[in-house]
Amino acid sequence: MSNWIPLWLHKLSSPPTFYRFAGVLRPWALALALVFGVIGLYGGLVLAPPDYQQGDAYRIIFIHVPCAWMSMFIYAIMGVSAFVALVWRIKLAEVVAMQSAPIGAAFTFITLVTGSLWGKPMWGTWWTWDARLTSELVLLFLYLGVIGLYQAFEDRRQGARAAGFLAIIGVINVPIVHFSVDWWNTLHQGSTVNIFGPSKISWDMLWPLLAMTLATKFYYAASLFLRAQTDLLSMESGKDWVRRIAASEVDQ
Amino acid sequence: MNALQVFFAMGGYARYVWPAYAVFFIVLIADSIAPRLRRRRELRQLRARMARQEARSAGCILPTPSST
Amino acid sequence: MTRPGLTAACGAMLRRDLTLAWRRRSDIAMPVLYALIVTMLFPFALGPEDALLQRIAGGVILVTVLLAMLLALDAMFSSDIDDGSLEQLVLVPQPLAVMLAMKILAHWLTTALPLIVITPLLAAMLHLPASVIPVLLLALLLCTPLLSLFGAILVALTAGTRRSGMLLALMLLPLCVPALIFAAGAVAAAQQGLSWIAPISWLAATLVLTLVLAPLACAVALRIALDS
Repeated sequence: MSNWIPLWLHKLSSPPTFYRFAGVLRPWALALALVFGVIGLYGGLVLAPPDYQQGDAYRIIFIHVPCAWMSMFIYAIMGVSAFVALVWRIKLAEVVAMQSAPIGAAFTFITLVTGSLWGKPMWGTWWTWDARLTSELVLLFLYLGVIGLYQAFEDRRQGARAAGFLAIIGVINVPIVHFSVDWWNTLHQGSTVNIFGPSKISWDMLWPLLAMTLATKFYYAASLFLRAQTDLLSMESGKDWVRRIAASEVDQ
Repeated sequence: MNALQVFFAMGGYARYVWPAYAVFFIVLIADSIAPRLRRRRELRQLRARMARQEARSAGCILPTPSST
Repeated sequence: MTRPGLTAACGAMLRRDLTLAWRRRSDIAMPVLYALIVTMLFPFALGPEDALLQRIAGGVILVTVLLAMLLALDAMFSSDIDDGSLEQLVLVPQPLAVMLAMKILAHWLTTALPLIVITPLLAAMLHLPASVIPVLLLALLLCTPLLSLFGAILVALTAGTRRSGMLLALMLLPLCVPALIFAAGAVAAAQQGLSWIAPISWLAATLVLTLVLAPLACAVALRIALDS
């Protein structure tokens, strides 16, 4: 009974099938992202009470934390699909890995900027060399390295494999960076800011956070589907199914 | 101060909170526009190529060599 | 036809690369000159106070050596790609990873070793106390092979592209953060009279692990980059 899943996956990984599949799911993902986003923003900016220590500045959490989660989640997706692409040479896995990179870089960038906007009023500094912050910065460089390597190749599939390999090396590296910066911080005691103490978050603040997390997840899905569709169009531009789409979709 | 002004003041932290949200939306909007533009460009190029091929198969001689 | 044994092949590979490097001796001197000049700039930029220079000396030397190695890294496979001998290397019956390890060793001997040799001079320029210099040399001895090995993977990945040194820097430097932290940590600990065994042990452990894995990864990367 159990071989319909590999069969279905195999069928899904053919470009025209995935193109249609993504086209069907994308509006739903985008709509869910907008709904959850509006709910989360309303809950976070209007309904949630001000924090008794941080006042209203803590409201940055509703975008900062979901984006930080997404930056790691997308990297994990990229690493796994790069691995699948390298081992089984599935074209779709290459597309997913490479099209995830810009979205992940965008989320990482947002995380860094909002974190520093949050840090200024709270700890009095835009930046501190804490392990989390440094790992996040290294993560951004890794994303940019993956994108840069992918684009340096003339042959797109070869570029995807090479950049995917770099992404896998990065998966090993990010925890090591985190650990080494932690170690480094114990050496330079003076400069550490104890930012992430154990704290209980109340339900009023938690549910908007969860709603925003879902919103960013669905946004990623929608953006990935659109990017993957576009990439498949240009990759398969000689094929009949793409020509039919080009002929049927006359814009402007 | 009315309620709206209080809301926008963010308890004195407006100049940190609103730029953070602005960055969030600007980056994500840019992220969703970029593939749309690329898609339009790809399709336009493809249609141009299809038109060239059709013209060639109809027997015209094109002045430029096609790079398909 | 008898095929040469692994040791013979390794020896031949090493000899070839070292001979090629020796024929272009000026290339070996370039990273050394670069490191000297960069180190010379720091006192002019920061002022000649002994205390300040001593404090930053370890870090400055490590970063300078890192950048000098980065400059030389691009050349690791480039001449072999240009004359096609790298593709021949992929086809040899001996394991590619071992052959690449020999190439990396040759590259380390011709770029990192000269840098380590002049390190006491750099340290003297920045007034680093003489007692710290052995620790600095030990840290460099463990840290530079790491850079060569990591760098080799990335250079192999970019083997099929239009050459771009900036891309290499973008990829390599984030990966080097842990090595730099531990090397600088050892030097700082020695300077403060603390025990520097822990960071040196971490570096050594990382080096052993990388020594085993990096040639394999480099071989995979090279096959990806040359496969077209």
